[in-house]
Amino acid sequence: MVRRRHGSLVLYHQNTNISSFSRKVSSTAGTLIGPFSDPGSHYHNAMSEVSKDLKRPSIQKRVFSFSKTSPSEIVRSKLSATEISHRALTYLPDDLLKDIPENDASYSLFQGFKASVDTAATKKHREGKNLLEESTAGGPNNVTRLSKERDRTNEELDLLGVRKSIASGEIREIDRKIAQLTAIRGVVLERLAKLEQEETQLEHDLLELDNKIEDIQYDMVEEGGSPIEAEEAEAGFMSESIYSKLPSPKGRKRQKRKAMPILHEHMSPGSEIKEMQCHADLITALDFDFPFGKLVTAALDDTVRVWDLNSGRSLGQLEGHHASVKCLQVEDNYVATGSTDATIRFWDLSRSDGPSLPGSNSVTHKRGPQSNQEEDFEDDMSAISSPTGPRSSAGTQDCHLLTLDSHIGEVTALYFQNGTLVSGSADKTLRQWDLSTGRCVQTLDILWTASSTAASEDSGWSFASLGRSSSRSNLPEANADFVGALQCFDAALACGTADGLVRLWDLRSGQVHRSLVGHTGPVTALQFDDTYLVTGSMDRSIRIWDLRTGSISDAFAYEHPITSMQFDAARIVSAAGENYAKIYDRVDGRHWNCGAGAEGGKEDRLSTPAIVERVRAKEGYLVEGRRDGVVGIWTC
Amino acid sequence: MSSDNLPYAADAESPLKEAELEVLRKQYDREGQYVSIQTKFNYAWGLIKSDKAIDQRYGIKLLTEIFRDAPERRRECLYYLALGNYKLGNYAEARKYNDLLLEKENKNMQAMSLKGLIEDRVAKEGMLGVAILSGVVIAAGVMGSFLYKGLTKRR
Repeated sequence: MVRRRHGSLVLYHQNTNISSFSRKVSSTAGTLIGPFSDPGSHYHNAMSEVSKDLKRPSIQKRVFSFSKTSPSEIVRSKLSATEISHRALTYLPDDLLKDIPENDASYSLFQGFKASVDTAATKKHREGKNLLEESTAGGPNNVTRLSKERDRTNEELDLLGVRKSIASGEIREIDRKIAQLTAIRGVVLERLAKLEQEETQLEHDLLELDNKIEDIQYDMVEEGGSPIEAEEAEAGFMSESIYSKLPSPKGRKRQKRKAMPILHEHMSPGSEIKEMQCHADLITALDFDFPFGKLVTAALDDTVRVWDLNSGRSLGQLEGHHASVKCLQVEDNYVATGSTDATIRFWDLSRSDGPSLPGSNSVTHKRGPQSNQEEDFEDDMSAISSPTGPRSSAGTQDCHLLTLDSHIGEVTALYFQNGTLVSGSADKTLRQWDLSTGRCVQTLDILWTASSTAASEDSGWSFASLGRSSSRSNLPEANADFVGALQCFDAALACGTADGLVRLWDLRSGQVHRSLVGHTGPVTALQFDDTYLVTGSMDRSIRIWDLRTGSISDAFAYEHPITSMQFDAARIVSAAGENYAKIYDRVDGRHWNCGAGAEGGKEDRLSTPAIVERVRAKEGYLVEGRRDGVVGIWTC
Repeated sequence: MSSDNLPYAADAESPLKEAELEVLRKQYDREGQYVSIQTKFNYAWGLIKSDKAIDQRYGIKLLTEIFRDAPERRRECLYYLALGNYKLGNYAEARKYNDLLLEKENKNMQAMSLKGLIEDRVAKEGMLGVAILSGVVIAAGVMGSFLYKGLTKRR
């Protein structure tokens, strides 16, 4: 067995040598075969390419040996240019000739040849035979004719058998090639993972250097100017509007990456990248900036934590909320969190101690499917067990920018973009905030607007929906957040509420200009792009609305209420009360499951994974938060 | 190998029709880089059956490739290489390949008959060669003797 293996290895090496030679051969074949009229120059071209191989003495010996040959052959092999090059091209080294294994194929090449050449002929034959049969009548000739017929049919059957084994042989051959290619793909993927690891390390170093340079420059300026001036400048800076801070690179350098990780795009969909024990309690909200970037999670244990998705390490906590955070959004380095303490806090992660991330320099984590999860796990657990320790909070204590506290009920949904933040609260209002001043610029009372719209419009469904919403409030589902989800773009705002309605607002007029009726349970998730609005609801359904017509364009339902949903051009990812995320592939219309509990997942888990509560997905990079505080990262 | 697994040399002397060869060539071209061994062989065998030396050479080239790429087909390839080289008149090669095959399968009818054919052909051409060579030698001897005579006469 070992010997055989060794043999095949040697063979493989030979094959690679040979194939490099044969590549040369095939590239010169055209020049050799084509122009026989002018062999001189082509011969030179060809020979200059094969001459390298010809310099090996054994080949020379072989090519020019003419023992036991006829004189005419000697003459030709010595004098004809094409003859010489042909011999060089078709030369087989002795070690190859010695290595001739037993043939265990079920058919010979010649049989294969006959089978494929005769295909057309036998088909014609069969048609003819059918005609013949019709004219068949009794007679003495008939027996011989029929036995002949039988022989031919037998032959045909044999041919068919050969053809069959040819086909299956070809399939085996292709399978082998595919297996080889997959193996190569695995190696390259590994290499890509390593490269990205190095890349992040370098970016990290770059950032550190940038910060050092900036610090030194700042110190030099400070030393040059009078201390009072500097203080004034500092004060002026602080009193400046927050908005001017947003795009400014002051303070800490904005962490903008030069390179984007692409590893997850090359892993097969549904494979696990990482699993982290982020909290000890149900994850209430999570979001991340980009694949392998920063993740912010919030849980019922009233903490908000920041994670480095690349290493799987905690970067610290966002401390300030007095109750658990129910919604949050991450955009670049800015984070908005809405809490049950009725406040919204706005954070800038780049103001943390940024690059000097705890422990990230000392340990390099191998990323990828085989990442050492147990080690991560222990580290993360230790970080959790000492949440007030200096390590976890030191890095992020400077992050807080703003507190928005006009709501009188818990904040259940928020969305910010371009300096405007819109929040929805259990006090049944939506508020629009100007992030540059930190002030509330508009308050939209959902019920008042709804009733006034209903009063002014005499279309039947508005009344119906109102009536339904009041009747619904008595149902057990009413413990859902009143404003389940919202998103704004420029002056357009969409919000989904507990009465199952999706309202489209115009922020300039403060009016609802359209209501989308359909959901029979509280809306818990909502997102729109330029064409579609997708909503998920406690009624277990996901609805896709066409914003141009205001009508429903697609809908489907799962087994349990939808708790979270996000979509992009390729897929709709949702959490639907299972221990895996539900994914609807928008391109080929396929539903599939991705996550720890999905079939085909790991069998050797110690316990069944908890139910997925929240999902976020960007560019095929899926992050899901579960009821037991575990966050799983997958490709989708 | 049973007797009908290999064609006899006579089979190689009957060329395919232009159109038939064209079909094989098209199949070979269509499969491109990932051509299957059977397709390659079909085309190569079609080429070897041809009566043009160019085709035969190309056929041998393809067979050489199969020999290199598919170890399990080497034994069969030996025979076709021997046959092709025999048709081209490269008797040394033909004999080498055929003898190798006979070494492995000393009861192979096709190879044995091919061996006989090669031997005949070499012997015939060898006789011819000896005849020509001896003719040249005689002519040279006659010329030499004339020259010698001339020289001695002049003296």
